[in-house]
Amino acid sequence: MQQGGNRNDAFSLKTRIKRLKRDSNKWSVFTLAIVFFLALPIIFIGVELFSGPGETWGHIVEYLLPDYILNSLYLVFFCSILVLVFGVSSAWFVSRFDFMFRKQMEWLLILPLAIPSYIVGYAYAGIFDYGGSMALIFRQLGLEFIRIDIMNRAGLAFVLSISLFPYVYVSARAFFLNQANNLLEASKMLGVSELKTFFKLMLPLARPAIVAGLVLVLMEVLNDYGAAKYYGVNTFTTGIFRSWFSLEEPQTAVYLSALLIIFIFALILFEKWQVRKIKFTSSKTNNTQIQRKEPRGGLQWLIFSIVFLPILLGFLLPVAQLLYWAVITASTVFDMEFIIISLQSFAIAIASSLITVFFALLLIYFSKWSTLSSIKNISRIGVLGYAIPGAVIAIGIMIPTLALDKWLITMLGKFGIDSGLIINGTLLALLYAYAVRFLAVAYNPIDSTALKVDNSIPDSSKVLGVGNLKTFFKIEFPLIKTGVFSAVILVFIDVMKELPLTLILKPYHIDTLAVKAFEYASDEMVMEASIPSLFIIFTAMIPVIFLNKLLIKK
Amino acid sequence: MLTINSLSKSFDKGRNYAIENVSFTLKAGQVCAIVGESGSGKTTLVRLIAGLERPDHGSIAMGDKIIASLDKFVQPEKRKIGLVFQEYALFPHLTIFENVLYGLSKMKDKKSRAQEMLDLVGLSEMGQRYPHQLSGGQQQRVALARALAPEPSLLILDEPFSNLDTMLRTQLRNEVFDIIKKTGVTVLFVTHDTQDALSVADEILILQNGKVIQKDVATNLYVKPNTLYVASLFGSTVHINKNLQNAFRCPLKETCCHAIRNDKIIVSPSSAEADCEYLTTAQVIKKIQLGDSIQLVLKLESGEQLTVMTQDKNIADTIYIGFNSKDILEFEQE
Repeated sequence: MQQGGNRNDAFSLKTRIKRLKRDSNKWSVFTLAIVFFLALPIIFIGVELFSGPGETWGHIVEYLLPDYILNSLYLVFFCSILVLVFGVSSAWFVSRFDFMFRKQMEWLLILPLAIPSYIVGYAYAGIFDYGGSMALIFRQLGLEFIRIDIMNRAGLAFVLSISLFPYVYVSARAFFLNQANNLLEASKMLGVSELKTFFKLMLPLARPAIVAGLVLVLMEVLNDYGAAKYYGVNTFTTGIFRSWFSLEEPQTAVYLSALLIIFIFALILFEKWQVRKIKFTSSKTNNTQIQRKEPRGGLQWLIFSIVFLPILLGFLLPVAQLLYWAVITASTVFDMEFIIISLQSFAIAIASSLITVFFALLLIYFSKWSTLSSIKNISRIGVLGYAIPGAVIAIGIMIPTLALDKWLITMLGKFGIDSGLIINGTLLALLYAYAVRFLAVAYNPIDSTALKVDNSIPDSSKVLGVGNLKTFFKIEFPLIKTGVFSAVILVFIDVMKELPLTLILKPYHIDTLAVKAFEYASDEMVMEASIPSLFIIFTAMIPVIFLNKLLIKK
Repeated sequence: MLTINSLSKSFDKGRNYAIENVSFTLKAGQVCAIVGESGSGKTTLVRLIAGLERPDHGSIAMGDKIIASLDKFVQPEKRKIGLVFQEYALFPHLTIFENVLYGLSKMKDKKSRAQEMLDLVGLSEMGQRYPHQLSGGQQQRVALARALAPEPSLLILDEPFSNLDTMLRTQLRNEVFDIIKKTGVTVLFVTHDTQDALSVADEILILQNGKVIQKDVATNLYVKPNTLYVASLFGSTVHINKNLQNAFRCPLKETCCHAIRNDKIIVSPSSAEADCEYLTTAQVIKKIQLGDSIQLVLKLESGEQLTVMTQDKNIADTIYIGFNSKDILEFEQE
């Protein structure tokens, strides 16, 4: 029968090839080109591995690598525990109980994200120092000062956790508020106690959301350079810096980068495995308002204290310390040069956030317009930069651009043109690196708003005779504007805070506030680092509050 | 006007087919309804025709021009097909007028054309409103005006009335098709409701599991259905299986499948009054009053259960039921 013929024929190799030819369009090619462009730094790291390790590699493996691995594992382990305690407990209390200042604390809990980890590190170093704030307070109270040394890996784990726990807080709270309400009501109707509901029902259910937040935290932990360097803890990232700047051995940096990438992919696989194991998160959001309990008396104070503690440690204390230093150093730090650096910082952040959002839009829509179904999956590779530490991306860009520049200089030299470095050490390389690193930051909010636009909307535009590009500008863009806007702001904040990548790739004559703060701290002038730090914090704070308002409205 | 030839589409690389080996033609000016249950492939079929999906096999032609095949694919925006989506898909940030104007960029007097379309659907005064300010029925008419404005050669309606309640549905269906008849456009109309199809379509195409079961004018589908499924779509039908054949002592051809429509089953208090070839007695085990008529659940001597309708209010506990051979529907064995 003809029917049987059709069945066999429709997926024979010959028809598949015919369809591939019919369905591949320019958008498929463009998507692949963008993915390739964004993946280049990682590809270069992979390619460079084949040139063999550097001279000092043996020495590093023998004396330093065990340290890097042990310290990184130590940080991953203890940061996980701390951020889970801070993040999950605060998320649970603000979404289940109504206590004094609950509404204010809900967004105050996000503010630690406005302070880069290394700046929290500087502040705590100052607080616990011999002549520091703690010593001062003890002396005022007439007590003997017992100094706690925090300039070690335990201190570093604390500093990183207290500045990064909001990632877990945000994703856990979103789960508790949106997804879990009907289950909570069911549990309540069955007469189950609050404590049992939390441990038996909510915690297991929220695990995928919590693990997702945790993986973000751990990526930041492994990305950190500034705090680890200041606290004198050897990690993969400080190792990459040491081999690049002190040992001047790029090959060693490449090998360390590759190891770090493997380490991170193990983490991502762990997350995927966790989420696959439990997939009972229902996609239905519940619109009923959550009924918060109103605790009284001592219980209210207890809950207040538990929720206030991370705010105090992660935001108020460090900011107070920085403000104190700022008052002392204002006259010496605040000059024309500082204003210029601030303006450069802003300009770079704005330019790179616009470029990154532009790339995210290209990636999302080109892959949508490509009619090959496999392209959409491939396009996700372009988002992986967020998992790769800034230092690694910087190395992956530095090596090929140096080679390319060398080639360009000899080529142009033949024509008698003295060009100097064209790409390396220019803003071009830096902006490209930011786009690679922060593409996911722009991609996710845009993609999730784009998903809310029903396919039938752009489809009906096409049926009415309007092509892809015009449909995008007239129909889709107006509908995803808020997503695009939050993407711009989020990338802006991340670029303002970024340190390791900027340190490696920034042009000589250009500085950012983050770099300035780092330089002050490295030059034993940590007090002077306070003013650039506060500038970063305040610029990051305004959009964080603003975005949280948007989030709550939704 | 539209020629579909052995069209197939699978969303899981050939394990299951949403549309399998579908072929049919549509004449210009015709209104054709595609009827099928949810999951029968109706929406996939019209999306293939509109160019929103790409076929895995087969071809689609408009007139003598191929618009989709293994080698060729005409973009949806080049097909001149109007499509009204189930959820209307009005552009939420544009006014009603701007929505209707949207597809008219190539036309000369586009503004007057858009206004003309709004007049046609009776929404002349609503042009400056936004979609969310209109009722469901009004949104439906805007979607229709928007689809008709660029003068498509084919108009596809995908379950246009499924979001509306029954009362509004009949009214709106008549309104919509009155408007469509005025334009004379060829229409492909997807529905899961046979009433919709019967009341407006010239021809009806029955889709089941992605395959075309029958395509014919309405009366033929009723009188000469191809399968038991088609028969039961257009009125409740009883399958005369082996047990029923024994109960009524009516041996039928074994290679075929047989059925009788419920309204052809004769119910009578005594054997004398029953005027039919095959007859048997039945116990009434349940009476359900449904408005004017009564639904009877019967138990035959053989133990088979059967549901019939009657107008007779004085039904005894034991009655006679029967039917005539001329009313038996015969199909190829399924």
